[in-house]
Formats: sequence, structure tokens, C-alpha cells
Amino acid sequence: MRRLALSFLLSLVTLAIFAQDDLMNIIDQNTPSDINYTTATFKSTRIINGHSIERMLPGQLDVRISHRFGTLNSGAYDFWGLDQSNIHLGLEYGIWKWLMIGVGRGNYEKTFDGFAKFSVLRQSSGAKVMPVSLSVVTSAALKSKKFLDQSRKNYFSSQMSYVAQVLVARKISQTLSVQLTPSYVHRNLVPTELDPNDIFALGAGARIKLSKRISLNGEYYYVANPATYLSQQTYNPLSIGFDIETGGHVFQLFFTNSVGMIEKAFIGETTGQWKNGGIHFGFNISRVFTLVKHQKAPNS
Amino acid sequence: MKRLFISLATISVFLFFFISCYYDNEEALYPTLNSGCDTTNVTYSGTIAPILTDNCTGCHNSSNPSGGIILTNYSNVQAVASSGVLMNALTGKGVPIMPPSGSLSVCMIGQFQIWIRNGMPNN
Repeated sequence: MRRLALSFLLSLVTLAIFAQDDLMNIIDQNTPSDINYTTATFKSTRIINGHSIERMLPGQLDVRISHRFGTLNSGAYDFWGLDQSNIHLGLEYGIWKWLMIGVGRGNYEKTFDGFAKFSVLRQSSGAKVMPVSLSVVTSAALKSKKFLDQSRKNYFSSQMSYVAQVLVARKISQTLSVQLTPSYVHRNLVPTELDPNDIFALGAGARIKLSKRISLNGEYYYVANPATYLSQQTYNPLSIGFDIETGGHVFQLFFTNSVGMIEKAFIGETTGQWKNGGIHFGFNISRVFTLVKHQKAPNS
Repeated sequence: MKRLFISLATISVFLFFFISCYYDNEEALYPTLNSGCDTTNVTYSGTIAPILTDNCTGCHNSSNPSGGIILTNYSNVQAVASSGVLMNALTGKGVPIMPPSGSLSVCMIGQFQIWIRNGMPNN
């Protein structure tokens, strides 16, 4: 009787071991050795004013229309700023999985701009674990507004400014993504010798997903050069708003203390102040068109 | 190989732009700008207030201030200047240029710049 019980127990243990093997097989099947790249860290290629880690896929064209209205404290006569508007139009295109380029024109100082965004690292899990995504953005802007003094010798180079940024982002969970953006801005010509030609700033942005289509975004740039040295008092840009996705379009509606929509302007020339109502309502509309269809869906 | 070539080409285009970096400021680049323009003796009562009276206070007065901006007394002017709104309006940066009839002379804008840089004294 005892022997019978022992052999029964033994067979159970063996079965259990076989069952464990089966379980391991199932786990192996369900976790293939592929790399799982994180997608949709942000909804759009901008957090609000500044670039996000997101980029256009190869063959996709993003048409962007952005507005910043006047300040809320400008009163009822100017309809709290809505009578004025600053616009920026942009065409941005994905060339390869790791490179997108864009051109734009804004009426703020009648500026033409162009940028390239290089995707260096992509957050992933699975066979390759990468905790963050990292991109590099370089851009150049040409101010085409005429110089007030036409009698002096004005140089073409005086109209140029340049920006370099490193974007480091992490999608912490399905609802929360964060990004840090060390930035460098160079202006070829500044008004006085007190103004720095080089500006260093650290940007921080975050996105909280509220529902399938809506997310809350915030963005702040800390400008390291002391603003009191400037001939004009400038402030750090702070922006808060919502991303709303409606099949094919992304609407970004927000409040910001900056009128500039390119890095050179919102990092270096933000004169609005949140505490006295120097805030602008603004929006970005993004519409993505697929110009080149790829047979194999890119691993995004 | 193609990818390497194109990435090198892209980077070199941006390097080309960066190579044309200059470290200029208008004070150093245009020292002769000041000829015939009094930039040494800029005061509120002697320089700034007369320009405002001639060009601005027709609309920006306390009885019916356009845009809520008053430029008839020192404390209000100082507030508008320190917020950056004054220089933005004079140079048309992000807002419609003021006065609407045409911008002030370069000398006058320079005098505002100097007064603001000097800390907007009430002198």
C-alpha cells in the first residue's frame, strides 16, 4: 500500500515537471526574441512649442499650422488677445526611420526656418532593453524682416541663428511620458554687448494621457543665462495644454507665455510673464499625409 | 553605404550653416550709428517723455488708453518698459509695430534701448 502511494506521488511529481516544461514552452512562445520598440511616447512631433522625440515615419508628410494669439491681459478691446495672431506654417517629412527634416515660415520677424531630427536611440524592451529614446535636433533660422536702419551696412549673416538640441525621452507608463531637452541657441547678431550670443537652456516636458484621444501636456525651458543681463527682460517659457486627436489630425490647444514658435524665439525672446497675465492662447494643427507607401510596415 | 553618405551630406549642410557663426552685437558693429544722435545724455524727462508725448500719448493716455496701455506718466511707462512690451511694440517684434503710422527713428529707438538698459531712471 505504501509502495503504491509512493509511486503515485512520484508520477505526480513527474507530471508536474512535464507540465512545467510545457509552461516554459508557452512562455517562450509568447516572448519571442524580437525587440519591442516603444511607440507613441508623445502624440505629435512637438510637445507644445518644442520638439518631442516623435518623428515622421519614412514617406510621411506632416503639414503643421500654428497660431499664437495676443496676450490675455490686453483687455476686451483686443478681445483678450484674439485680435492679434502670430502664425507659423511648416512642412515636415520623414526620410528614413532615423531622419526627418522640416521647413517653416513664421510671421514673427518674418522668419524662415529648417531643421533635421536624427533618431539615435529608441526606447525598447524584449531582446534589446533601452530605457530611453534619444534624438538630436539641429536647426537654422533666417530672419527676413528688414533692418530698421537701412542706411548702415547690414550683413546676411546677421539674420541667421542656430539651434542644437538633444532630446531624451522615456515613456514611463501607458499614461505618462517625460522628456528632457538640453538646448543651445546661437544668435549671430544681438542688440547690445550685454546680450549673450549663445544661450543655454534645459527643457522639460511631460504628457499625461487622459483618454484614448486626449492628453494633458506641459513644457518648461529653464534658460541658464541670467535674464537680467539682457537689454530686454526675458522669461522662461512655460506652456500647458491639451492634445486632441481626431482621426488623422492632432489638435494641440494650450496657453503659453511665448509668441515664438521656433526654438530661437521661445527660448531666447519670451517676454510674456504668467503672473501678470502675459499669456497667449495658441494652437497647433498637425495633419499627416502618406506620400510614399512602404510595402513592409516600418517597425515603429 | 548610401545611408552613411546621405547622413554625412546632411550633417555637412548643417555644419556649413554653423561655420557661418558670428559673435556680433550692434553696439560694436555699428559704432558710428551714434553720430548726430545723443546717446550719452538720455533722461526720462529730457528724452523719453517728449518722444512719448509727440508720438504715443494721443492714444495711450489715461482717459481712453488704447490696449489698456498708458504712457503719460513715469510709473506706467516704467511698467510697460520693464515688461518688454514697449521695445517689442517699437520694433514690431511679435506685435504690430508702434506707432501705427510708421516706426520711430533708429536714434529714438536706440535712446529707449539705452534708457531701459540704464535701469529706466526717473530723471
